[in-house]
Amino acid sequence: MTEQAPAIDIRGLRKSFGAVTALDGLDLSVAEGEVHGFLGPNGAGKTTTLRVLLGLLRADSGHAAMLGGDPWKDAVDLHRRLAFVPGDVELWPNLTGGEAIDLFARLRGSFDRGRRDELCRRFDLDPAKKGRTYSKGNRQKVALISALASDVELLLLDEPTAGLDPLMEAVFQECIREAKAAGRTVLLSSHILGQVEALADRISIIRQGSIVETGTLSELRHLTRTTVVAETAQPPDSLAALPGVHGLEHTGGQVRFEADGDRLDRIVAALGALGVRSLVAHPPTLEQLLLRHYGDALHDGAASSAGVAK
Amino acid sequence: MTATAAERPHTAHTARGGGFAGTWTLTRFLLRRDRVRLPAWTAGFALFMGYLTAALPVAYGDDKQLRAIGQMFRDPVGRLMIGPGYGFEDPTLERFVANGYGLYFLVLAALMSILLVSRHTRVEEQNGRAELVRANVVGRYAALTATLVVAAVTNAAAGAAVFAMMAAVGGYGAGGSLVFAAGIAATGLAFAGVAAVTVQVTEYSRAASGMAGAVLGAAFVVRSGGDMAEQGGSPLSWFSPLAWGQQTAPFVLDRWWPLLLPLAVAAGGFAAGYALLTRRDLGSGLLAVRAGRSRAAASLGTPLGLALRLERAGIIGWAAALAIGSLAFGAYAQTLLDAAEDMPAAFVRLFGGADGMLAGYLAYMAGFMSYIVGAYAILAVQGLRTEETGGRGEPVLATPVGRWAWLGSNLAVTAAAVVVLMAAAGAAIGAGAALVTGDTRHIGDLTLAHLNHVPAVLVVLGLAALLFGAAPRAIPAAWAVVGYGAVIGTFGPLMDLPDAALDASPFHHPARMPVESFDPGPFAALLALAAVLAALGFAAFRRRGINV
Repeated sequence: MTEQAPAIDIRGLRKSFGAVTALDGLDLSVAEGEVHGFLGPNGAGKTTTLRVLLGLLRADSGHAAMLGGDPWKDAVDLHRRLAFVPGDVELWPNLTGGEAIDLFARLRGSFDRGRRDELCRRFDLDPAKKGRTYSKGNRQKVALISALASDVELLLLDEPTAGLDPLMEAVFQECIREAKAAGRTVLLSSHILGQVEALADRISIIRQGSIVETGTLSELRHLTRTTVVAETAQPPDSLAALPGVHGLEHTGGQVRFEADGDRLDRIVAALGALGVRSLVAHPPTLEQLLLRHYGDALHDGAASSAGVAK
Repeated sequence: MTATAAERPHTAHTARGGGFAGTWTLTRFLLRRDRVRLPAWTAGFALFMGYLTAALPVAYGDDKQLRAIGQMFRDPVGRLMIGPGYGFEDPTLERFVANGYGLYFLVLAALMSILLVSRHTRVEEQNGRAELVRANVVGRYAALTATLVVAAVTNAAAGAAVFAMMAAVGGYGAGGSLVFAAGIAATGLAFAGVAAVTVQVTEYSRAASGMAGAVLGAAFVVRSGGDMAEQGGSPLSWFSPLAWGQQTAPFVLDRWWPLLLPLAVAAGGFAAGYALLTRRDLGSGLLAVRAGRSRAAASLGTPLGLALRLERAGIIGWAAALAIGSLAFGAYAQTLLDAAEDMPAAFVRLFGGADGMLAGYLAYMAGFMSYIVGAYAILAVQGLRTEETGGRGEPVLATPVGRWAWLGSNLAVTAAAVVVLMAAAGAAIGAGAALVTGDTRHIGDLTLAHLNHVPAVLVVLGLAALLFGAAPRAIPAAWAVVGYGAVIGTFGPLMDLPDAALDASPFHHPARMPVESFDPGPFAALLALAAVLAALGFAAFRRRGINV
């Protein structure tokens, strides 16, 4: 997989709008055939990155290549090989959803009519309704169906399920797995962690216009702390002094702390010596990973209440 | 706990408002949203009047000139364009301003009111913001009531600005100035009443403004015919809401009672608006939305097909409106010839005889239609900009559709529509004239005369395309060319302006067919200019970001 040129290769990308820096030296690499989760809160630069990749914006500096081409210069040729779903789908009020689906698919070129009808059924969309009567979720379905029915190599999805209900979310995940099985590359920008956890082979976390973490979920987990909750026969206070133990709390017979991934074996050995009666250890959730990078912003706001709790 | 106690009287107070709860808060909110627009419109009215009070004494300073120009405003073609023509047998500057240019103040006030009402009611519902507002302690009628209050305030401000300019700067009589200014405000309010009804009918704000605009267009056409038929207006004139503000005859009769009519229309419109409002759901219209086809027609699959599909309804609507109006304008030909018979023979000779007068009138109408179609061209480019900012351009440009293909398809459709609209207007005027005079040659002659003006309209389209590519926020600047062209084309010959001022308008250059014969020189030059402007627009559009 690493032998091939990546489907998306971005290095040191910068883009600012007046005084606002949207992308600040962003690096992003998406391998061919992988589903890549692109995580970050609103305003972190996800949409700007996608719009640069689509050739809708010109970056101020840096390198961006997609499917071996230049997103700005080769926009039209590249667009033959990709489909894009925006986060906020706007349709023409006087065109039906079915017309919009067909239009996008035909503009892209190759288009499987049977697959289009099947997707309409799976997503439970009535294509005969006018665009102005659709809810946000239904508008999103129109863009998704059109993208998934097209025979393309790359799917660029910008928070594609923001308006979908849980049933449709399940259909969406199924479709993305099918796309992956068919060998398509997917860049999935999202802030729905469960979706990324379920679908993504690799994840990049963006913060204030640059990538702060990238890798598979287990790689990311390895770099971070495991939460350990245990009941021990002997008082566990000695643990607090061990390197790699953080935030030890001791209430009743129960001890709770976080352990660095690379020192986990020693810590568990020390814990065992105390006589373990019960043990729960779980890897960090994606939420915790994300909060690690965005935690400082939260901490400032939550500092007063957290202080009281301690 | 203390908060609940403090809020209770407040809740009781707003609950008493019932359907009107929150009106006062919304009114202040709308005034805040209009904090730029309202002063801008007011300043626009003040500037227009200020310009007239300053420019007219310079343009036709002495009594003799005033009388000569007054004679032109009194003739049937003059009355068609300016109104019933009160006071021109003994013109003074103040009569000239109020009765010669007053109609355009009324049209502006009507447009201002239509856009204002649509913006604060239907646009809000269409965008879903109204839902957010109505979810608070806001009554069913609050939004419409607040809108109408703001419409009244805005029209009053516009009227006050005009009055202040006339009385203070122009030094005109206070009584006549007041009745003139009141006519503007009352006419504006009448069209606010019309828009209060149309915004209830359709779900779509553009259609709502379009319907109210159609009423305005019909009002203009009806009063044109009525005022042309007789000096002082004929019974037909009185069917037009645009005529009432002029029937006050400022500085001549100074009568107030005709203003009861626009006020009655306003009251009737408001009452109908409230009644219709209760018969529909928020966000929906009275006209049901039909289901459409579930698959796209074969033609909808290219950028050109999309552009054509999106513009189709608009083009058909414009063509129908222009054709109906033009048919009426053409049919006024006989009125003109009849009126010429009643005029002093010397005066008719001055215009080249009755036939010459007819040709001059028809040639003017070809120019007049080109201003209107120029407005269409700008609206089309503004519509394309809305496609971009509304997020509908982006998914299209994310397919293998190049920027040039996207912009080019839309401009090509608009350019073709310009040709179709001008031909439709010309053929309809010709048909109207042929109907009343029995001379069928008018149809062909006038179709050609109108097509002769197409390149001037395309220059406007080219300029709008350039602005779209280079500075999309500045597209409205293209309106200045149409506005300037319309003022210069209508009043320029009377204003004794230098040639350079006339030549600055693209609309001034085409040959005045059917008075003059076709001149390929300006035709080709304007086409070339339009092409250059559009090419620059393409080059600039290739370089800029989308929707930034």
